Amino acid sequence: MVTVSIEKVWKIYGRIPAVKDLNIECANGSFLSILGPSGCGKSSTMRMIAGLEHISAGEIRFDGRRINDLAPKDRDVAMVFENYALYPHKSVYENMANPLKLRGQAEVRIRERVLAAAKLLEIAELLDRRPQELSGGQKQRVAIGRAIVREPKLFLFDEPIAHLDAKLRAHMRGEIRHLQRTLGTTVIYVTHDQLEAMSMADRIAVMHEGVLQQLATPREVYNKPVNAWVAGFVGEPAMNFLDCTLEETGGQVRFVHPTFRIAVTPEQARLLEASNRAQGIRLGVRPDALTISLAKSKEESMTGRIFVNELLGGDMIVDVDLGPERVRVKTSTDFAGNEGDVCYITANRDKWHAFSKETGRTIF
Amino acid sequence: MASRDIVQYQAPLSRAFGWFSAVFLALYLVWTLLPILVMFISSFKDLLEAFKIPPVGDWAGVTLFFDFTPTFKHYENLFVNLNFSQYMANSLIAAGGSAAISVILGSMAAYSLSRIDFHGKSDLLFWIISTRMAPVVAVMVPLYWIFRELELVGTLPGLILAYTTFNLPFAIWILKGFFDDVPYAIEEAQMVDGATRFQAFLSILPLVGPGIGAVVVLCILFAWNDYLFAAIIGSGGAKTLSVATRELVQPQNIQWGPIMAAGVVTTLPMMLLGLVIRRYLVAGLTMGAVKE
Ligand SMILES: Nc1ncnc2c1ncn2[C@@H]1O[C@H](COP(=O)(O)OP(=O)(O)OP(=O)(O)O)[C@@H](O)[C@H]1O
Ligand SMILES: [Mg+2]
Repeated sequence: MVTVSIEKVWKIYGRIPAVKDLNIECANGSFLSILGPSGCGKSSTMRMIAGLEHISAGEIRFDGRRINDLAPKDRDVAMVFENYALYPHKSVYENMANPLKLRGQAEVRIRERVLAAAKLLEIAELLDRRPQELSGGQKQRVAIGRAIVREPKLFLFDEPIAHLDAKLRAHMRGEIRHLQRTLGTTVIYVTHDQLEAMSMADRIAVMHEGVLQQLATPREVYNKPVNAWVAGFVGEPAMNFLDCTLEETGGQVRFVHPTFRIAVTPEQARLLEASNRAQGIRLGVRPDALTISLAKSKEESMTGRIFVNELLGGDMIVDVDLGPERVRVKTSTDFAGNEGDVCYITANRDKWHAFSKETGRTIF
Repeated sequence: MASRDIVQYQAPLSRAFGWFSAVFLALYLVWTLLPILVMFISSFKDLLEAFKIPPVGDWAGVTLFFDFTPTFKHYENLFVNLNFSQYMANSLIAAGGSAAISVILGSMAAYSLSRIDFHGKSDLLFWIISTRMAPVVAVMVPLYWIFRELELVGTLPGLILAYTTFNLPFAIWILKGFFDDVPYAIEEAQMVDGATRFQAFLSILPLVGPGIGAVVVLCILFAWNDYLFAAIIGSGGAKTLSVATRELVQPQNIQWGPIMAAGVVTTLPMMLLGLVIRRYLVAGLTMGAVKE
């Protein structure tokens, strides 16, 4: 259990900066997720924390103690690698026992810990096998097992369940979360899957091209994204963006788009007023904050044409052409529209967002 | 690395090729094995019997070749009168010692060269292998002078050192290739698990086992079969089998019997080595460790 502070950390490979001026504070016993697309510097950050990669600039502290120059073995972290990194010449049991052996634990205790971890991960019957005799999902569980046999100060998970099938992934999400709750160990969990981050983490650090975008609770990241990029990355299906201009008539401020003119709330009007609106506005609205109907409603609405319907189990996603742009709307399965029909979309004005077109910064 | 069954399709051409290769291999086996067979059989023959040769063209006379009463007197002569057990020990120590040193130093150097980047690394690598580019004779004179100054001429440590200077570059190059194939992740996992860098290095040695086996065999073969170093640097105190065998050829008297027996004595250990080490040369251990 440890508080991890990452302060002004840079990672530069040759000339290419992979992590830029990163500042993250991860509280003792909390579950932090680092979320970002491929190549955004998640693994680099992780490896710097583990001591496998030199820290180009800045400081990483465990409980206030600078660890930049500490060897990996002295940091007391356990890591699950992106590519499992099992020892091919050792059995599953020996793989899992290795960290305890290296720390000189007694054979009896090692056995006990390994068996307990194997039971938890449902790999007890695989203990005599070699890694090459395991499926990808089993390997990944062995890798997790090797990390949890110890009681380290900090767990580092680098996309530990990315290669499992959907069902097992959902199961493991719960298991890892539960494990962290019971042990109370600090966890830093890297993923590119926003669902994983949202469902497991206490706090999420969203990264993009080596830069930290937002560090906040899952709810806040979802509801109050700091910029258009975060808003677009988090949430499935992704947020719709529409370039709009603003118009003020009779004390009402409206978003104007070739296919619609919709008034904003007075509160939002004030925020728009305060921002530099000459830059233009991007309207952002999630598919589930839109309502689609084939009949024109009394409210101000967007007029479009249905492009395609997708049935997703209990929901339906409708792609609608709004002039040159396309938005996705989430609706119920009994929606009767067909491809090519004219339809009307209204937006939940409490749930939409406006971003500066130039900087992408959130206005509301 | 582990081989798989290859799907084969029968075509007239491939069948013809199959026959051709069978014939070729048969001829090749006769070509390589016959001299060894002759050596082996002759070493058990009395001198008179050894020179019983049928006239040219008399193929039935081949049986004459197998018609003899076996005798161990040449072997007795070698080990009792000619001190061959000493020479054999010298050969074993020189070959084994140099192989051991080459493997130990070579694997450490190869690991470093595989894992650490620094300025001029490729130049250093080239320099290492370039020491093997000049033929042995070219460096023999300066080497002899250096060894004489260091009073290493005619001693086993001197001979081991001489073989090591030639084996080490080889060992480094071969092993570096094997270390390059071992994913970093395995030793990184070791280090996070609590190993020092050196422990992590030791832990991946099993994965380069086939490379180490190959290096051991090549180093031993080089030293065991060497004549030049042994004759010049080992001369006197550290006489090896090859030199001792050569000395059986005297101007007035070529001792065919002992020469054949010495040939067998020199060849057999290497054949045994081949059999023993073959197991370790089978690759395929790294499979499945890391997701590609
Ligand atoms: N050893 C290296 N040498 C040079 N560049 C590297 C090295 N490792 C990573 N990079 C670069 O640094 C950037 C960040 O890499 P990193 O592995 O941290 O990404 P990631 O967020 O973990 O991506 P993924 O989700 O694909 O694992 C990438 O652009 C990558 O090309
Ligand atoms: Mg990564």
